[in-house]
Amino acid sequence: MPLRTLQLRRMFRFALKNLLSRPVRSLLALCGLTVAIAGMVGLFSVAEGIEDTVSTTFGKVPGLTVMQPGAPIPLFSRIPAGWGDEIRAVKGVHVVHPEVWSRAHVIDGKPTISPPRFLFGSDLKQADRLRYSVYREGIKEGRALTAADRGTHNALVSRAIAEEFKKTIGETLRVDGRDCEIVGIYEAQSLFLDVAIILDIDLVRSMARVGPESVSNFYVEPDQGADRKQLADSLKALFRGRAPDSWQPAQALATELAGQKSEGNPLSGLIETLGGALLNPPSKADAAKADTESSDGDSPAERPGVSPGTLGEAPGNEPPRRDAGLTAELPVEIRSPEDWAGEFKRFSQDLDVFLLLMTSIGVTIAFVGIVNTMLMSVTERFIEFGILKANGWSSGEVLRLIAFESALLGLAGGIVGSIVGWIATLVINAHWPTRIHLYASPSLLLFSLAFSTILGVLGGLYPALRAARMMPMDAIRRG
Amino acid sequence: MIEVTGVVKTYLRGSTEVRALRGLTCHIPPAALTFIVGPSGSGKSSLLYLLGALDRPSSGEIVVQGRSLSQFDRRERDLYRRDQVGFVFQNFNLLSNLNAVDNVLVPYLPQGVSRERRSEAEDLLRHVGLGDRLDHRPSQLSGGEQQRVAIARALLKRPLLILADEPTGELDSESGAEVYRYLRGLRDEQGSTVVVVTHDQSHIQPGDNVLTLRDGRLAGA
Repeated sequence: MPLRTLQLRRMFRFALKNLLSRPVRSLLALCGLTVAIAGMVGLFSVAEGIEDTVSTTFGKVPGLTVMQPGAPIPLFSRIPAGWGDEIRAVKGVHVVHPEVWSRAHVIDGKPTISPPRFLFGSDLKQADRLRYSVYREGIKEGRALTAADRGTHNALVSRAIAEEFKKTIGETLRVDGRDCEIVGIYEAQSLFLDVAIILDIDLVRSMARVGPESVSNFYVEPDQGADRKQLADSLKALFRGRAPDSWQPAQALATELAGQKSEGNPLSGLIETLGGALLNPPSKADAAKADTESSDGDSPAERPGVSPGTLGEAPGNEPPRRDAGLTAELPVEIRSPEDWAGEFKRFSQDLDVFLLLMTSIGVTIAFVGIVNTMLMSVTERFIEFGILKANGWSSGEVLRLIAFESALLGLAGGIVGSIVGWIATLVINAHWPTRIHLYASPSLLLFSLAFSTILGVLGGLYPALRAARMMPMDAIRRG
Repeated sequence: MIEVTGVVKTYLRGSTEVRALRGLTCHIPPAALTFIVGPSGSGKSSLLYLLGALDRPSSGEIVVQGRSLSQFDRRERDLYRRDQVGFVFQNFNLLSNLNAVDNVLVPYLPQGVSRERRSEAEDLLRHVGLGDRLDHRPSQLSGGEQQRVAIARALLKRPLLILADEPTGELDSESGAEVYRYLRGLRDEQGSTVVVVTHDQSHIQPGDNVLTLRDGRLAGA
């Protein structure tokens, strides 16, 4: 064996012996590091969990979503139902699936505050034509809804909902005052997808009081082999220059709906109103338009029961109005799976900053803790270092020994901390499967391990330098 | 062998300046057993540590085999301590977490210990009567046995100079006599220069070199 390797092995064994011969102190230092690293893994697993859920979810939804610009999710989006026919005519489109989303406020007499549950109104005829549907693929019991279920109260529910309300196939789930018969149970293994009760679109329209002229969004499945980006560009070209007043803004609708729904559940109305206001603030163009309308004293919003998009004929039946001079903005937003992922990444950036701050505090505490531990350890062992130096150990060798010891502590703290943090994420995920998804990726665990080791070495460096600089007799005298 | 010229050593004990050596000049012959004696606080141990480059003089010069210790750089100082000087301390100064063999091998741990050197360390421990104590830790050894481990550690490097600070201070008379037998044997067999600081002058024999210190100066030789 090369001498250098032998030297390192001896030094490693000596450092290990030193740590093992002081079990209580080593254990305390290890505990300090473990807590810090486990905390770090836990905090970062929140952000990674969101990213993992987003990528898992949108990896399962390969098509394009056409929805109201700026709406964070389809729940807050409303666009004219009539635009579906125009989209269908675009080259490269295989299926246009109209969707209506709403919150399920009360299920089996229980208000659904958290976790939220959603009503997903599906155009079942179009859904049948989809080559791939995440809900159909995720059927675990029973069957998917088909065109034959149109006009019925048959429901496909997520396993999480079925388990929460202890329901199985053939049983009835009472949702917002309607009895829905469960014909299928799905599981998409995504926190974002396993929250829906899928019903016929007309049923959801009536439950959510969404008129036939509106949908939340269109899910567009491209033709086989069609380029998704090209298709998105074609769809944008279709709507470019179209006046935004030909459809009903979601905020106005949300306010209106909140007022209507508050009859059944005041809290849900309040939440939806707040949600609409917080997540979908009016654009400047909307505000300017609202001002103009209000100055006319004839704002549609001022007329009870009449929404701006429902004046006269349904907007879907109007010929599309093109007025490039009015706005260069698109009245729709076309989102690909990548766009969704980007959107959620932006959404979670603030959370990342918060987690970083929390972790920094944890890491600072760990760093101060390990410096303190190593300083105490080294101060107590001045005689030992004096003896080593009296026997010819160089300052560098003493430094290396202490660095080895603190690196070993850091590594052990990293291993234990990563394992504890990882197990904690599994336990939390298992305990609240429908509420939270934490994910500690292998790269996060490896990073934690390396970080802890570096932290250990840095923590031991200052006391090591102090010890190494002393003359042997100074060290022995101080000891 | 060793020339000490005008050495002054002061150090701080708390906020008080202690003048341990006050311009000491003396000569230590090679391959001899030199005793440094004197009352407490006369500077005996301070001189010993300066001879072993465990400390630096405040002024003055110490020349060992023609080379001034003050001219040594850090690395030369480390090598001098590791290869040429063997220390035997009053309180043994063994490492509590190592067994007897590893304590003997301490000077060589950073470089890596060859099988031959380990075998040599075991032979030395057998030679000082610790053949059945090889894997014992200091806490499992008596004071006399610990001092013999310290002597074996000093012997392993076949040093030019052996410095012993009150080597029998914590031992009974029988163990103390045994320690001196080893030190004299080392001088006779290896031609090492042995310098011993002691209060107990009963071990001094005719022909030994004796330096008497008082108040940091040489009072008699």
